[in-house]
Amino acid sequence: MTTLNTGRKGEKMLLMGNEAIARGALEAGVNVVTGYPGTPSSEIIDRLSKADRERNLYVEWSVNEKVATEVAAAGSFAGLRSMAVMKMMGVNVASDFLMHLVMTGTRGGLVLVSAEDPGAISSLTEGESRYYSKFLEFPLLEPGGFQEAKDMTKWAFELSEKINNIVMLRTVTRISHGSGNVVLGELPETSPRAHFEFNGTILDEQTGPILTVPGPFAVNLHARQQNKLQAAANLFEDCPFNTYEGPENPELLIITSSVCHLYCIEAVELVDAPDRVGILKLGTTWPLPAKFLKKHMQRTERILIIEEVLPFLEENIQVLACQLGAEFAAKKFHGKGDGTMDKVGELNPTLVAGALSRVLDLAMETVSVDYSENINKQAVDNAPDRMLTFCPGCPHRASFWSIKRVLELNNQQGFVCGDIGCYGMGMLPCGFETVKTVHSMGSGTGLASGFGKLGQFGMDQKVLSVCGDSTFFHTVMPALANAIHHRADITLVVLDNSGTAMTGFQPHPGLTIKASGTELPALDIPSICRAMGAKVQVVNPFDVENAEKVLLKTIEDPDGVKVVVMRQICALSPEKKSKKQFEIQVDENVCIGEECGCNRLCTRVFKCPGLVWDGEKKTSKIDAVLCVGCGVCHSICPSGAIQRKEIA
Amino acid sequence: MESTASNEVVRDVQQNGLCTGCGACVNLCPYFRNHRGKTIRLFECDRTWGRCYAYCPRTEVNLTNLRKKLFQADDLTMELGAFKGLYMTQAGDETVRNAAQHGGTVTALMKLALAEGIIDSAVVAGDNDQQVACPEQVDGPDQVGSYSKSKFILPPTVGKLNEALKGKAEKIGVVAVPCQAQAMAKMRVNPGPSDAGNMSKLKLVVGLFCGWAFDGSKLRELLGKELGNTAITGMDIPPSRHKCMEVSTENGMVCLPMHEIQTCVADGCGYCIDMTCEFSDISVGAARSPEGWDVDKEWNQVIVRSALGQTLMDLARDRGILNFKEVPSGNLEKLQNASMKKKRSCLAYLAEKSGREDDFIFLSSEDPLIRRIRGLE
Repeated sequence: MTTLNTGRKGEKMLLMGNEAIARGALEAGVNVVTGYPGTPSSEIIDRLSKADRERNLYVEWSVNEKVATEVAAAGSFAGLRSMAVMKMMGVNVASDFLMHLVMTGTRGGLVLVSAEDPGAISSLTEGESRYYSKFLEFPLLEPGGFQEAKDMTKWAFELSEKINNIVMLRTVTRISHGSGNVVLGELPETSPRAHFEFNGTILDEQTGPILTVPGPFAVNLHARQQNKLQAAANLFEDCPFNTYEGPENPELLIITSSVCHLYCIEAVELVDAPDRVGILKLGTTWPLPAKFLKKHMQRTERILIIEEVLPFLEENIQVLACQLGAEFAAKKFHGKGDGTMDKVGELNPTLVAGALSRVLDLAMETVSVDYSENINKQAVDNAPDRMLTFCPGCPHRASFWSIKRVLELNNQQGFVCGDIGCYGMGMLPCGFETVKTVHSMGSGTGLASGFGKLGQFGMDQKVLSVCGDSTFFHTVMPALANAIHHRADITLVVLDNSGTAMTGFQPHPGLTIKASGTELPALDIPSICRAMGAKVQVVNPFDVENAEKVLLKTIEDPDGVKVVVMRQICALSPEKKSKKQFEIQVDENVCIGEECGCNRLCTRVFKCPGLVWDGEKKTSKIDAVLCVGCGVCHSICPSGAIQRKEIA
Repeated sequence: MESTASNEVVRDVQQNGLCTGCGACVNLCPYFRNHRGKTIRLFECDRTWGRCYAYCPRTEVNLTNLRKKLFQADDLTMELGAFKGLYMTQAGDETVRNAAQHGGTVTALMKLALAEGIIDSAVVAGDNDQQVACPEQVDGPDQVGSYSKSKFILPPTVGKLNEALKGKAEKIGVVAVPCQAQAMAKMRVNPGPSDAGNMSKLKLVVGLFCGWAFDGSKLRELLGKELGNTAITGMDIPPSRHKCMEVSTENGMVCLPMHEIQTCVADGCGYCIDMTCEFSDISVGAARSPEGWDVDKEWNQVIVRSALGQTLMDLARDRGILNFKEVPSGNLEKLQNASMKKKRSCLAYLAEKSGREDDFIFLSSEDPLIRRIRGLE
């Protein structure tokens, strides 16, 4: 079977956008690849990690995005083509280093891939990273399809080496997770020799030490950086990724980029206006190719800018129009500025067609009211009534069960500062609504550190934070150090499920496996916390009675930072999946169902999807397909009706 | 029909400041638990009828009906409930006496009941470690002695009974304060369907006179402020002119002034109508003597209320388990007056809370006993 790292030049493969990016990097001869998992970016590293031996790559899941960018930059400084991959929030984490990096420049081609999530489908914000390219002054490329995702990635390395600076390749969910046909290019033979040259002068980009220095030198570097950006702008004028299709003098010029390009093609067909509308697709969205844009803008009077979320392109093009003179400034612009498009959410062909029909005053064939009402009704009537919840056998449900109970028992309106992972769902009924704050990675413990110092102002609520094992290494450690040093009265609960579970079990420094599966030394979270000065307990959340006892005692200890590591491997992890520890059965004769004394505790409150309420018999039963045999429901059943038998 | 279950216990009792932490709602279901003296509901329950509400001593109750169902009609008095006689006793065994707060009568009676097979298991107030009261179940006379000091913080004794009723013990005796005894009276008279069979296991209630108890968390906070981490070995409120609570610690005795201590009294205690634990077979308190408190410091006053109480008392006399002493004249009247004072203040506090002079929240204004206390009958 043809794979990413064996496919030959000219072969056509159906590739996910992220796979196309991975292939593009291979075709560029990338050597160092780093990243931190995050949807929709994770498949890029995953695919490359499977090619690491054959293609002579160094691939790692780094501790966080800043370190990932630093590790990749080291590759570049030593002359290797390198790539750092992350989701959009990761660029925020990396941004401190990035601001310095763009000033010193790079040697081997260095590409930062940011996979973004308009519509926040699997993210907590719609925040985007395009603005970094303008703010930090580096080139931004955005593929508008699957072939382009591959080709542009390869080109990004070449561009980086031409201007000696980092290049950002921005993809979005519908490119990353969509699939399309891609014609493969050549895989080069690389025989890299890594060496960091530093004997030249400080001003020699290729041979000197790579430093940022304060004062006039920094200003000097800044000017050099801006020259590189101008060089990129010049290259973009003839870039094959900037295209125009449509009539010579369109009534309306659409300017778009990324996946919106595909929506625009479809929308023009939907409103049947190919003679009136032209589509200018930009693959290079910063810096703008001014001459290319000027050429097309002067052939129309009206311009519609189609992009997702904030008006990055729109406002930059409007500034360019002003710079181009009165004739251009007077063009009629449609987009987010005049309210034609929303500044939030994903787009789709229908939304773009709607915008076109309004701007061009065209009738658009829409679905009938009856039909859409019927669709909604069918969806409501036929979809099972269920909320977002933890999987059957998820350790987090058991952990939050104990956390909820001890917070109630403690009776001081205690709460949990959440973090990023499946356990963020602790805010929902499946986590018994214990989580009351969720922000960026690591900020749960940072917030807890702050809450834990408010005792002097009368705050007497118990403060907990939760983080996963991967998040612990990502950004919780500095917050924990802060809390310990300042003697904040908090309890950090590390929900250690042995992997970066939410994004697909990527390894982290607490595990002995690296991206490609070889053994690495693991860092022990309890030992780290003890060495930092916290009181540490390790419990198994499935041992509900003990977990609750330890947690209660811990949160009622007013002295400084306490850490409870609740350790139980994720039910979906490859090691555990389809291995049941217990066979679970409900004894219908013992189950008291809705009676006083239970009131359906297991199906009404605990709510593991593996438990089902039998409305006819008025007892609980096990859904044998869903049940993973963790045995926790046995521990919480007040009447001993849920029985478990250890599977040998 | 209005719902009478978990949500109403939370709304009408807990959030209304009436809960005493007696434990009547604890261990019936997974929802109510008692932690460090406070009864807490862990998860919401949406039932419309619940034992928690039915057994709670702070939900609607007609005391006259309860009294009539549990005691002989001609023993009933307005002031002290069922009354067969007042005694002054102390444990015959000196070691029991020395370990006890006052005369050791309760310990002696429970030991006797266990030894004689009147009961085979006893639910008593447990250790007072860190001012956390835990009820314990013991099943031999030798184990009773270690639980013999006054606790001042209410253990959720009825919750322990709820657990014991599901267990193997066939004849259970309970040492209880008035709110707990009232809860057990409601359980006995009107048990839920799942408890009807078990309730006959509750054989004996030995009551404790009670004016109030501490709110555990308030007391812990005060003691923490006053004493820091010093270990506490005992507490007493000597009825003396000092007006203080004596706290024995590893570093000696510390006196805390009563006005400070009173801020720690549990909110729910003010709404108690019963000082002498009327819903018991036999109830015991500290003795008072016309010559002053210290004279009878090592004696108890005992009210016998039921036939079983009388049997136990007679047995104690026959076996020499208890020493007896003549009750000073005027003591009964003093006890009656003190009891009536508690009843009237309870009604006054409840009327204040409800904002209406004839609305006593959980006590029925139609209850003949309440009408008599108010002087309406």
